[in-house]
Amino acid sequence: MSEIFRRLRYLLFRRRFDQELQNEMEFHREMAARHGGRNFGNSLRLREQSREAWGWTWIDRLIQDLHYAARILWRSPGFTLTAVIVLALGIGVNVAAFGLFNLLVLKPLPVRDPDSLVRLQRRSPEVNTSETPYGSFAFYRDHVKTLSAMMATMGSPSMELEQDTQPVRVIFVTANYFSELGSQAAAGRLLDASRDDSSSAPPVVVLSYRFWQQRFGGDSSIVGRVIHLNKKPATVIGVTAKNFAAPDEQHSDIWMPLMQQPYFVEGSAALTDVYHGGGVRMSGRLAPGVTAKIAEQELLALTHELDKLYPKLIWDKEYIKSDPAGHDLVMQPEMYQVAGMVGAVVLLILAVACANLGGLMMARGVTREHEIAIRVAIGAGRKRIFRQLFTESLLLALLGSLSGLALSYVILRVIFALTTPPEWMSVAPDWRVYLFVLNMALVAAVFFGLAPALQIARQRQRRTIIRQILVGAQIAASCMLLIVSGLLVHAVHHVLYNDPGFGYEQVLGISPGLENHGYTPEAARTYLDELKTRLSGIPGVKSVTLSKIPLLGQGMTSYMTTDIQGKQVNIYPDWIDDDFFKTMNIPLLRGRNFVPGETNAVIVSESLARKIWPGVDPIGKRMWPDDEKNRDVIVGVAGNARVKSMNDGDAVEAYWPAQTADLPAMTLLVKTVGAPDGLPPQVKSIVESLDPKLFPYIWLLKSGFRENALDLERLAMIASLLGTVAISLAGVGIVGLVAYTVSQRTKEIAIRVALGAKPLHVISVILRQFLYPVLTGLIVGAAVTALLSQFLRKILYGISHLDPIGYAGGIAVLVAIAVAAALLPARRALRVDPVRALHEE
Amino acid sequence: MPMPFMPKPDMPPGALTLLILRVLQSGSLHGYAIAQRIHILSSEVLAVEEGSLYPALQKMLLKGWVTAEWGISETNRKVRFYRLTATGRKQLQAEISNYDRVTEAIQTVLRTA
Repeated sequence: MSEIFRRLRYLLFRRRFDQELQNEMEFHREMAARHGGRNFGNSLRLREQSREAWGWTWIDRLIQDLHYAARILWRSPGFTLTAVIVLALGIGVNVAAFGLFNLLVLKPLPVRDPDSLVRLQRRSPEVNTSETPYGSFAFYRDHVKTLSAMMATMGSPSMELEQDTQPVRVIFVTANYFSELGSQAAAGRLLDASRDDSSSAPPVVVLSYRFWQQRFGGDSSIVGRVIHLNKKPATVIGVTAKNFAAPDEQHSDIWMPLMQQPYFVEGSAALTDVYHGGGVRMSGRLAPGVTAKIAEQELLALTHELDKLYPKLIWDKEYIKSDPAGHDLVMQPEMYQVAGMVGAVVLLILAVACANLGGLMMARGVTREHEIAIRVAIGAGRKRIFRQLFTESLLLALLGSLSGLALSYVILRVIFALTTPPEWMSVAPDWRVYLFVLNMALVAAVFFGLAPALQIARQRQRRTIIRQILVGAQIAASCMLLIVSGLLVHAVHHVLYNDPGFGYEQVLGISPGLENHGYTPEAARTYLDELKTRLSGIPGVKSVTLSKIPLLGQGMTSYMTTDIQGKQVNIYPDWIDDDFFKTMNIPLLRGRNFVPGETNAVIVSESLARKIWPGVDPIGKRMWPDDEKNRDVIVGVAGNARVKSMNDGDAVEAYWPAQTADLPAMTLLVKTVGAPDGLPPQVKSIVESLDPKLFPYIWLLKSGFRENALDLERLAMIASLLGTVAISLAGVGIVGLVAYTVSQRTKEIAIRVALGAKPLHVISVILRQFLYPVLTGLIVGAAVTALLSQFLRKILYGISHLDPIGYAGGIAVLVAIAVAAALLPARRALRVDPVRALHEE
Repeated sequence: MPMPFMPKPDMPPGALTLLILRVLQSGSLHGYAIAQRIHILSSEVLAVEEGSLYPALQKMLLKGWVTAEWGISETNRKVRFYRLTATGRKQLQAEISNYDRVTEAIQTVLRTA
């Protein structure tokens, strides 16, 4: 029997052991008395000393302290309620933020062996992409040994199901996709490597559970039925389980075997063209005992082999990066920055709440002087009193944390209701969240309870310095929160209500998807010329232009990072024709437009020109003078147009004339005289009449703009909500402190008033002790925010470095609230009846 | 009876455990009997008080050197008897040899210094 085991056994049968000890000691005394011995010592104390050997006495003390704390809190419900609400707010936002982080990043996906899943992406020092050409994927898959399996998914433009107006989201996946994830079917079967991994196999599709419910009402007879996607018949073989999960899930309605992609997308060379074929997202399973590092090394060796097989396919210093993929989100460094930023903001709120409560605790310490003095008088040590007070804080923190947990549950519920999270995600907290809540309770108790407990235990609660520090800290933290939300709100307003630099209200976008259907550049030119002519012929169409980037439409926008004149810039590029500026209503400020068939020319935005060539006319200069291979010359300067990067105030743009090789990837922009809302059906029929195998994607630029704006508005709303929480916490804290100070000094005020002091003077005397902490807090808060704003700018696009309106707004609101919060209770002091106040004691 | 005007000799630290272990070597005893036995065997020089005896016994129970079992006292009362365990015996040997070494060393110092 080991020592620990005996110790635990003692804990379990504590009562019996204690009884036995008592019995034994009684016997000892009886015997001693019989032999004429003396009786010495307090038997209770002796028993306590004996029990200490087992090391469990702290539990008794803790229980005792908790009992006492519960009684104390129960007796002052007002204070307890305020404290719990303040803590619930402070802790609730933290738990909600952590809960989201947990769901997205920490919680393993409900798939088979999530730990060995990796996501594989192409990387080089310059380029960073999620897609790899299918040919390269196939090469890796056929040769890799450190991965037990490799999977790939290929995104696709939405498709038309039967005659539905609403397009369905589809994705092509390798036939081993579902079996590697260990997914189950809700009906029928999922893809099977032995049956569906061939282009000659009968075409099949798998439905998502949600889509099956919505479109087919959960009818299980759908299995085996033939449906038409983009007019191509295919058999439904099954439905994924309701809780289907996949790394980086791309929310599709329908899955199809990757090998059958050429069947569904007629003419597609995605699987056959090594150089220009479609990109797939790769993932894999580490073979048993293999680490991600080893797999990366093998993939690097394979990349070198690929480079020998297909010259120019592989970038300079290219490698494959592996990331753990057993979670909903595979984190990127930038995402960690955002997470860190959110974490900092919610922690600031907690800091405000704690500083607030700390002030209240100190104030309560004064009203409890009497009680504590009695306890000291009957022999309680400082340590014991400190422990008791801190236990009280712990109990409060626990209550606050539990309420915070409930609050966070509500917050997450609301978030879930506003978005469409995957079915497997649940709002219910898991053990990580509970652990976090416990930790938060501890951290909060230390923050708000430690210093006051120390001060009170030393009976120094009347000292104002700690209280002043707490007020200062509160003001500083609220100041930071308010300025940040002020900056954000201002930035969003700027984006929303300032001229974005381009016209979007009357523009329609068309993506014919020529590239997907294997168009050669020459065929694309013929097609696009014909389409442009036909579109221009529609009554009410002003102009038609080409743009390689689908502006404000589906698909990712990306920037390129490049060095110009030793300055690193992120440029949003586009490849266009000479009608672009006219169609998009972007002014050409200097120089000239492109001429048809032009090469080696570039038009830069004014922001780019100012950044690289400040005060100099860039026209005629070479963009990269040191690069022998690139002879691009700047021919024009266009107005700033944040078409591709609405929320990035620092965005700079550059435009190149589209070359023949770009043509299959082009989208078209159509500008109309009136609203373009009624145009899509007509445009669609024109695109399809020119080539019936095409299924164009058509969008209104204004809808894209609204969607982007909505995201930004949401961001600003969350920021202002957090700011509001911070400011109300700070307000409550100041009201409480001033009210308390007033109540402490009623007598003094009464005497002053009785002697004829002016009300203003009396108020200023009361409030003077808060003046410096508030001022210091404001200065520190503003200074820290200014220091952080460089960092903030990288995450929250559009925040300008020292935006005076944002700062002034934040500080002004805070000062106003602080003054109001201080004056409200201070005014009460003046209404004190001197005679009554003086007679009170 | 302890002599009234003699100061009570302090027991060196750790000695109580050693003595308890030693008196239990010849058979199990209850708490009072342990105190009595030590008192008598030391020619009434050492008095073991409740305040040190029971904490020491609890510690020995925890360490597993002794176990407690019910027995009937000479006054016909149900009371706990302490018995040496195998580890207790080993502990006793170790403590005795340790004690011998230390006293011998102290004696040497006293003699030669």
